[in-house]
Amino acid sequence: MTVGAGSNPGAPTGLGVRPSRAPDPRRLTFLALALPAVAALALLIVVPLLFMVALSFRPDLRGELLSPFVPTLKHYEQVAETFSYWRLLGISAGMAAIVAFVATAAAFPLAYFLAFRAGRRAGLYLILLLVPFWTSYLLRVMAWKLMLGTEGVINSGLSSLGLIDEPLDALLYNRNAVVVTLIYVWIPFATLPILAVLGRIDIRLHDAAADLYSSPWQQFRRVTLPLAVPGLAAAFLMVFIPTVGEYVTPLLVGGTGGSMFGNIIQDFFVRAANWPLGAALSVIMLATTLVLVVVGLRIVKPRRLLGI
Amino acid sequence: MRSRPETLLRAAVVMCVMALIAACAAPGSSTSPTGGPATAGPATPGPTTAPATETPPDQVTGELLVLDWTGYDAADFWIDFKNKYANATATFEFGGSDADIYGKMKAGSQADVFHPYTGWLQFYVDEGMVEEIDTTKLKNWDKVPDSFKALGQFNGKQYFIPWDWGFSSILYRTDHIATVDSWSVLLDPKYKGHLSMWDDGPGAVTVSSYIHDYDETSITDAQLAAIKAEWTAQAPLNKTYWAAETDLIPLVQSDEVWAAYAWQGAYATLLGQGVPVAYANPKEGRNSWVGVYGIRKGTPNLDLALRFLDEKLADATSTNLPALYYYGSANSDVMGAITDASLKAAFGIDDPSILKTTNFTPNLTAEQRDAWTAMWTEVKAAQ
Repeated sequence: MTVGAGSNPGAPTGLGVRPSRAPDPRRLTFLALALPAVAALALLIVVPLLFMVALSFRPDLRGELLSPFVPTLKHYEQVAETFSYWRLLGISAGMAAIVAFVATAAAFPLAYFLAFRAGRRAGLYLILLLVPFWTSYLLRVMAWKLMLGTEGVINSGLSSLGLIDEPLDALLYNRNAVVVTLIYVWIPFATLPILAVLGRIDIRLHDAAADLYSSPWQQFRRVTLPLAVPGLAAAFLMVFIPTVGEYVTPLLVGGTGGSMFGNIIQDFFVRAANWPLGAALSVIMLATTLVLVVVGLRIVKPRRLLGI
Repeated sequence: MRSRPETLLRAAVVMCVMALIAACAAPGSSTSPTGGPATAGPATPGPTTAPATETPPDQVTGELLVLDWTGYDAADFWIDFKNKYANATATFEFGGSDADIYGKMKAGSQADVFHPYTGWLQFYVDEGMVEEIDTTKLKNWDKVPDSFKALGQFNGKQYFIPWDWGFSSILYRTDHIATVDSWSVLLDPKYKGHLSMWDDGPGAVTVSSYIHDYDETSITDAQLAAIKAEWTAQAPLNKTYWAAETDLIPLVQSDEVWAAYAWQGAYATLLGQGVPVAYANPKEGRNSWVGVYGIRKGTPNLDLALRFLDEKLADATSTNLPALYYYGSANSDVMGAITDASLKAAFGIDDPSILKTTNFTPNLTAEQRDAWTAMWTEVKAAQ
């Protein structure tokens, strides 16, 4: 945020230093520092993305992978004609919306606690929140298999309490299991952008609200919550976007009926050797997610989000 | 008040990014279809001019890259090569399915040797991705029955050498199902929630073809539509589809799955664990498949690759295949020497009628592959 401030101890730090007022060497330093990241992004994300788009117009996999070909729309036509793909895309977007909403809602109290109530122990609590990430994602999802399985923790717990005779089959291998697992996975991630925003709220606003006889609920409703909206929106999008294309979690806990759109894309690459069709599905998913995000931002009034 | 949460946040973001990288790396490394060879390519080309028999084994050097299925990298499955050629090495990269292996070879894998299965061989030949094999250089070639040799022959040339084989049939728990005499048990609503089909389009077409007596090599559009409807209705009956044998075995063991499409390796494993299971001889016949090894066209390690394939067929390696994985070997000397009762049962060695009614897996055309896999994806998407 304060580029080059360290080299000039006398200069005022903080947001007061505008890039436009910075002398040229600083701008060069900034460009030099940004270059590796920009180059890496271009090379590792933009180029493969273009390759994917090109692949989606390729008739089939025959011949050399980089050989020229006559572009065709047949894969897009095939997708357009297949209702079940669109239905699944809708289901995946719906699941992602539920996961993002619940994870964000559950993360908000956590972030609130860390920002305003945890005091000196906030660092420790934050580390505890992130402890699950020290282990593999696959292991954490496998752990949910142990929780939800027929002989899992929940079933054996309930049956030892005498509450059920037969194990509950409906816990694992369906979309509910996928949603529950994804919510669990995302809550710590969703906490971070909210915490970032809450941490920036001037605590004196609360004092001012109290001086003006607002109740704690009113303080929260009229001061904290509106100021937290950008963080909540960021958290929601951060969860929603990757979840639309999720495939590992449904593969492990979704079972036959729990597939998401990402799974059929994966199938066309790994189980069908039909990369062009898989690429076409990927392009469609990317476009749909973009449209949903743009529409979503319109609905929650981007100007208010960015104006803060 | 302002600076502290931000410092914490910065630390948190760093940790998250690290976690994300770790999370992405784990599944990606094994399944990424675009991932190139995970290990270094061939180092020193072997002496390609000298006949295989003339160089003393300890003077053969080089590094061979093998694209194989997980588990076959264990030294037990190439022990003859390892012992004989102490100064040559074999490294492995992995594919999770035939489509995956084909995709990796397509994407320019530098593997010298790769391991596809019957059904998925024609494309490699058609697209010039596989080297013709000079079988006169294979000392163990005579141990392979002619019927197996024929599976690797295209246009009168030997492109693949057969190595492992097995059945596909219905594995079932005898404490829940008295007997299974037809593939149609996999579609029986009576066992809703206790079935498990293999997650594979061509596999589903095969099962339907057996049940309805379709000609598997010329499925019509109408038949494919009927097959799609059949498996769409079947999908809710599954506990879950299975993708790897290691997914299926615990499901049967824990009594969650009572009947499943299965390879006999799963049957033999469960039998060994004392689980009450049987392996059906359906009236439509079992399915049988054969795994083969091919050499990548243009490999600089042709000589070493041939030596590797020859030692794959040698006795110690071939004995380990049925002994450890319960799969058949293409080495008929080894198969004839099997005495273990559960293995004999698994291969139907004492019951020649099983082999007589067995349906061998025909090779797919590229059109069939694309149509059948798309059919299966639509079945899964419709759930």
